[in-house]
Formats: sequence, structure tokens, C-alpha cells
Amino acid sequence: MPSFLALRSIFTMNRRSISLRRSHHIRDGQTATAWLFCAPALLSVFLFYLIPFCLSIAYSFTNKMLVPRIGRSTEFVGVGNYLKIFSNDIAAKAFVNTGLYALMVVPAIMVIGTILAVFVNRQVKGVKTFRAIYFSPQVVTMTVVAVVWSFIFSPGESGLLNSFLGLIGIPPQSWLQNSNQALFCIAVMYIWQSLGLQMIIILGGLQYIPEELYEAGRLDGCSIVQKFLYITVPLLKNTLVYVLISTTINTLKLFTQVYVLTNGGPNHSTTSVVYLLYKAGFINSQLGYSSAIAVVFFLIVLIISLIQNYAMSEK
Amino acid sequence: MISISIRRKHISVACLYLAYIVVACLFVLPMLYMFVSSVKTDAQIVEDMSTFRAFIPSGHISAENYSAIIGKVNFFKFFKNSVVVAILNVSLVTILNAMMGYALGLLSFKGKKFMISFIIALAIIPTESVIINRFMVALHLHMLNSYAGLALPTVGYPMFIFLYYNHFKGMPRELLEAAIVDGETYNGIFWKIMLPLSKPVISTVAIMGFIRSWGDLLWPTLVTRDETYRTLPLALRALSTDVYIFWGQIFAFASLMTLPVLIIFILFQKQFIQSLAMTGIKG
Repeated sequence: MPSFLALRSIFTMNRRSISLRRSHHIRDGQTATAWLFCAPALLSVFLFYLIPFCLSIAYSFTNKMLVPRIGRSTEFVGVGNYLKIFSNDIAAKAFVNTGLYALMVVPAIMVIGTILAVFVNRQVKGVKTFRAIYFSPQVVTMTVVAVVWSFIFSPGESGLLNSFLGLIGIPPQSWLQNSNQALFCIAVMYIWQSLGLQMIIILGGLQYIPEELYEAGRLDGCSIVQKFLYITVPLLKNTLVYVLISTTINTLKLFTQVYVLTNGGPNHSTTSVVYLLYKAGFINSQLGYSSAIAVVFFLIVLIISLIQNYAMSEK
Repeated sequence: MISISIRRKHISVACLYLAYIVVACLFVLPMLYMFVSSVKTDAQIVEDMSTFRAFIPSGHISAENYSAIIGKVNFFKFFKNSVVVAILNVSLVTILNAMMGYALGLLSFKGKKFMISFIIALAIIPTESVIINRFMVALHLHMLNSYAGLALPTVGYPMFIFLYYNHFKGMPRELLEAAIVDGETYNGIFWKIMLPLSKPVISTVAIMGFIRSWGDLLWPTLVTRDETYRTLPLALRALSTDVYIFWGQIFAFASLMTLPVLIIFILFQKQFIQSLAMTGIKG
């Protein structure tokens, strides 16, 4: 998400809108039309973003239940819910798992995505078809991806992936049923699905690098690796920071694979933050606790967006 | 000398294509596995799993899984739900956010500056962190278990408003002023002049909105109570976590729900790739 654009334009906007206003006389009907045009989207944003967000903050300090308990009213519990997040083993696991998942997915996507982008950045016949093929998993819904890959990760000797690994002497693994491997399997699915998209974004950045620089590098006797490290990477910095942050934020939202395949198991090894807040709020009816998790999740995403804003504005 | 270098060039081009094809296999094989398995019997799928035959049709090939999915599992009921929700959601998403983007980008009015900052601030809030209490709002508005509950809450989307705002801000103001001089209203300008000039950004929002609506799992899980309004991802999850698991039927269901999107993608490749790459949004 281009939240970096968003944050940055807060600072540049003032100047621009002032100059706009000067150049234009306010005419009748403009204000009325403007408010009329804003009203439907604004109403929707108010009802389904702003109010829920405020409710999350408010409820996070209470013991509110989704289904009210008879004879017990909602009470203010201070920071009790937040303390529960930091003192609870399952919650701690959810945050650690989500972090681990990001640590598996993000570097893989950054490295393989960049390599793939350089790899398809050539003017040869048919290259566009290959780009489209690499991109195509992006249009397959995550639920489908998860279900299909769960068959690929079938345990036992005759499982699809196990059979092929068997050819090179790797013993059969139990994959999604093994608490040490399940999160890795879930990460592989996500990498497979979104690698092509990140490749295309990086490719967009690559095509802005002028050909003359590579020509100059060639004349100076740079090797391919040197050209990559000293020309491509520095000039690709902003694109890579964008991919880094947007992929990180997207991985933190892990839910679908967990909900479809593992329900957080085995042994809580795939419980993610979003799955935790879904389960706490919706299944266990602890709306206050779930809201507190949502607020912590929001703060984490906010901090990452701010870091991105800082990294991108630094020239 | 010359012929050697030409030959060497041919070999390196051939190697490049070979590498392209090997990488393409990594992306295509899982999808191929899904489509191929959907026409096999369950026993055949299990038997073929340990060899390369997993990726080619073998054994008794039939459309039995598909007829079971359409008959017994009632695929088209869920398909209809997904299509109704997508049409309702995507058409409102494209138009309503565009209207607000136009007002913020081109019109001048009091409170505009504040409103832009407000939308930008909201764009940073991830949907997941408001979802449980969005459910509470939907509950109080009596929107649970209905098409309205599925499609409406995600209509106003700060990121799309921002995308449109940026687009309209970049439009020449002379266009607006000339139309006003010609006696056009601000309302008319939007529908007659601005929308026809905004096809690329509209298709971007429509494609991203469609991918989001078609694949969403979390919100439909919260708002639907029973099968009546279940969308495709939810129905596939229900099918794959059932007591009795029919492999072929799951593959057939997954294939049927992927095929329409894949066909649209193949037809509009360029727009799809550009739109999704523009923002890196995930469904």
C-alpha cells in the first residue's frame, strides 16, 4: 500500500492547495457539489473505518463480550487486556509466528523477486508472455492456493512433494502436520503467489535506470556482479524499500492459509496475530481482548509505515 | 570467426529460453496439477501423486467431479453469491470513490484540506485492525447475512479515494474552467468530461476491487451465518474441511472458481499487470 505516498503528501499538500485556491474564484454550486460528491464514500468510511477504529480503542480498555453475559455488565478494566497480550503464551506465540513468517517471506521475495526482474528485463521475443506467466498466480485466490498447495504438501512417502524430494534422497516430511514445518509451508504458498507481482514492481523500477550507466560500467570493465551491486541496487533503492515495506505489511496480515488449513495448529505453531484477534473476538466472544490485539496490530503497522516514510524521504 | 560467434549467440539465447521455461514450470505446475486432478477419480489422484503423471491426465477421465460439484455441492449458488457481491461492490467502489476523489482533487470548498488529511490518515489503518468492530457496526445496522452486509462495508476505501484524488489533482484545471464558461455544472463535468478521461485509473480500481472482493475470506466469514449467502472462498473452505474429503471434487471446485478470473486475466493481461503493480495491493 502506498502509505508512504500518503504520509509524504501530508507535508507537501498545504503549499499546493493554497496555490490552487488563489488561482480560482469560488463559484456558486461548487461547495454544494463537492459535499454531495463526498457524502456517499465519506459515510461508508465513517461507518466502517472510523467508528470501528474508535470502538477498537474504546473497547480495548473494557471486558466487553460479543455476546453479553447475563447479569454481568461491561466494565472498565484499564490496561488489563494489553497486559494479557504480553503475559499470555498463545498471544506471544502469535506475534512470534507472524514475525517469523515475515522473516521467511520478505527476504525470499526481495532476493528472488529482484533476480527474476533482472532475468526478465531483456528485449527478447516472447518475454512478455513469460512475465505474464510468472505473474499469473496473483489472480488465483489465496483460498485456492492454500488448498492446492496443501495437497502438494501431503505427508507420507507418496506425497507429491515428498516423492520428488525422495528422488534426491530427502526422506519424507510431514509438512503441515509438523509444528516445525507448518509455518514454512504457509510461507511457501504466499511466496509462490506474490513473487510475480513483486517482480513486476521491481521490473518497473529497473526500466527507469538509463542504459548509458551500464554502458559506462562495461567500458570501465565492471563484471556483471559489480554492475548489479554498484548500478542496479543503488538506483533501485526506492523501489526496493517500497517492496520491502509493502510485503512486510502484507505478510503481517496472515490469515487465509491459517484459517483454511491449520486453524492455528499444530500446537499453535501457525497462530497468527490476525487469526488470534479473529478467534478471541469472534469464536471466544472476548471483544475487549480482541480489540486490544487489533490496536497493537495497528501500532505495529503504523511504525512500519513511518519507517518507510523516513527511508523514502531520505535522498 | 563470425559463424562461431553467431552460433554461440544462438546457444545463449536457447539457454535463456530454457531457463525461462524452467521458471515458468514452477509457477504453472501447481495450477496444472489442480486442473488435471479435477478430471480424475480420487483413487487415480492418490495413485498418480508420486510420479510425473500427477501433471498429466491419466486413468479414467471424466467430468464426474464437476457434475457432483454442480449438483450435490450446488456450486452455482455460491458462484452467484460471489458474482452478485462482486458486481455490487466493484461498481459502487469505482464510482463512489471516484466522486470523492474528484471533489478533493479538483473542486475548492471549505474543509477540503482537513478531509484530505483525514483520508490519508485512514489509509494507514489496516482493515484487519478494524474488522471485529466493523462486525459490531454491521450487527447494529442489521446487515448480517445479506448481500448488503457482504458488499457495502468495503465500498468506501481510503486508498482508492487517495488514488483517485491523485489522478484528478493532476488533471488540467483549464479543462474545468473552460467547461464552466461553456455553462456546464460541476456535476455534469464529472460525468461528461472527467469520467471518460479517467479510464485507466477506473480500470485499475475496478480490477483491484474485483480481486479483493472475489478472494476475501475474513469479512464473509464474519458476516455470513449459513450457506445462503456463502461466497466461493468460504464454500471451498467448508468443502475442504468437511468430514469426508473428496479430492477430485475439491480440485473441481477450485478449478471452477479460478477459471473465470484466469480467463479475464488472459484477455486483459496488460491492464491487470499494470493495475496490480501500481499499488502492490493484496486481495
